[in-house]
Amino acid sequence: MLRKINIAVAQINCKVGHKKHNIDLMKKHAKKAREKGADLLVFPELSLTGYLTRDLTYNLAEKIPGPSVNSLEQVAGKENLHIVFGMLEHSEKARGVIYNAAVLLGPRGLIGKYRKSQLPTHSVFEEKRYFRPGYQLPVFETDIGRVGLTICYDIFFPEISRLLRLKGAQLIICISASPAVRRKFFEVFTTARAMENTVFLAYTNLVGIEDGLQFWGGSRIIAPSGHIIAQAKYDEEDLVTGEVDYSELKRIETFVPTLRDLRPEFFDSLKTHTEDL
Amino acid sequence: MELKTEVLQLDSATAEARIKRFIMDYVEKSEATGVVLNISGGVDSCTIAALSSLALGGSKVLGIFLPEEEAHNADDAKHTKMVAEKFGFDLEIIDISSVLKVCYHSLPIFEEQDKISKGNLKARMRMVFLYYYANRLNRIVCGSSDKSETMIGYFTKWGDVAADISPLMDLYKTQVRQLALYIGVPPEIAKKPSTPRLWPGQLAEQELGIKYETLDLILFGLERFMTPKEIAEQLKLPVTGVEEIRKRWLATEHKRRGPLTAKLAYRTVGADFRIPYTTQ
Repeated sequence: MLRKINIAVAQINCKVGHKKHNIDLMKKHAKKAREKGADLLVFPELSLTGYLTRDLTYNLAEKIPGPSVNSLEQVAGKENLHIVFGMLEHSEKARGVIYNAAVLLGPRGLIGKYRKSQLPTHSVFEEKRYFRPGYQLPVFETDIGRVGLTICYDIFFPEISRLLRLKGAQLIICISASPAVRRKFFEVFTTARAMENTVFLAYTNLVGIEDGLQFWGGSRIIAPSGHIIAQAKYDEEDLVTGEVDYSELKRIETFVPTLRDLRPEFFDSLKTHTEDL
Repeated sequence: MELKTEVLQLDSATAEARIKRFIMDYVEKSEATGVVLNISGGVDSCTIAALSSLALGGSKVLGIFLPEEEAHNADDAKHTKMVAEKFGFDLEIIDISSVLKVCYHSLPIFEEQDKISKGNLKARMRMVFLYYYANRLNRIVCGSSDKSETMIGYFTKWGDVAADISPLMDLYKTQVRQLALYIGVPPEIAKKPSTPRLWPGQLAEQELGIKYETLDLILFGLERFMTPKEIAEQLKLPVTGVEEIRKRWLATEHKRRGPLTAKLAYRTVGADFRIPYTTQ
């Protein structure tokens, strides 16, 4: 496993419902990321199809692995990169069961997937109408470190990132499709999740406009100290890279020992009170 | 939540940037050659014309001024020209009086004294002209409706509200005035009393019986789920007045949606079809 890795976060303007266009866009950015020396390239939530696919969701969803994963596996292999991207996944067992998924690919192919746990269904969001939530929070042991995946609204729930950290994640990736009115939340929460868990966090967001929703970009890589290692522009396509040095984790875990000081009994109480809200 | 003027304070720089980006994006995705819009000389239409011009360039914006003799006001023409010159967009002036007269004569049930029906006819006639231009020029119609008037239904159904996009529709009237001043719309336009100009002497605040400064705070409170009682207490207004606004807002939902149909089949237009706008 590499001690230091170079991460690229790419915020792209996807075309809703046009996988080929979006895959071509990802290919272009993969080449750019490779040229910048990246080991890992992270694309936003539902970057394969665009975010607001609404009723097109049922026809755009694919199995994992499936044709689009295969195409992007080739990109990862050709550019010798790890790639994370978002897509609509349908269940193998029931075609109408759809997940909002993040896929992790390595240069040798598919490593794993994560299904979004927290589905926003309020304001302009209607994810529970279309998606089943995921029930697993996997951490993947890879050549680029132990990686946990989250998607967008998951970041509002500290227990998700915490659990990934407790399962050994050194790097938490959050891919999102966040509209401009939510910028403050994401800027605070992404930094907070990195700091409270003493973990590296790579955040990437869409740009562009879908159904009047303007995605604000602002992708970033955050150190456990809260230091912003790399920050992409607001509102326009951008790709930035930053180096993550996992050896820093030991120092920060000692200096800010939140993991050492965790109190399990509070979690029991949290469960009881959540059930009784 | 405290209802005071500050809550309506707009971040005008951000609003300008987002609205311009929205207009550019929609025109591009529609593969249109630009926008046409009804410019009346009022703050909403002058502001959206100016923003469209800033977003797309003046050559892609056609403002159409559609006066008619009954409610004609010389200031409107002057203000329209002033804004067109300042922001560099094309301006077309078409007097619709004659075509309206043909309509009046052709309608067997036309009633001169029914000023609402007659006024709505004028607003809808403007829509007909706008869409003719949009079709001929392969452009989209850019509307100027604001949030205050849209929420309380103070517009003509299929008339002045008819458009492909309405970039100001999430800004209250008092916020549109702030934005107007910020982007350089002359103050005499930004601050002038609003009127749909459907009949002589018509003034919005007089007709509504409330100042926009107060109306916007009431609507802001309703938008945030405050009760009429809470709003009335804070603004020191009679609760019946606030309830009246709330009633007006809820009762006019039919004006803000597509036509309602009876649910009969598997998937129904307007009910459970949900198709993205931006699909190409």
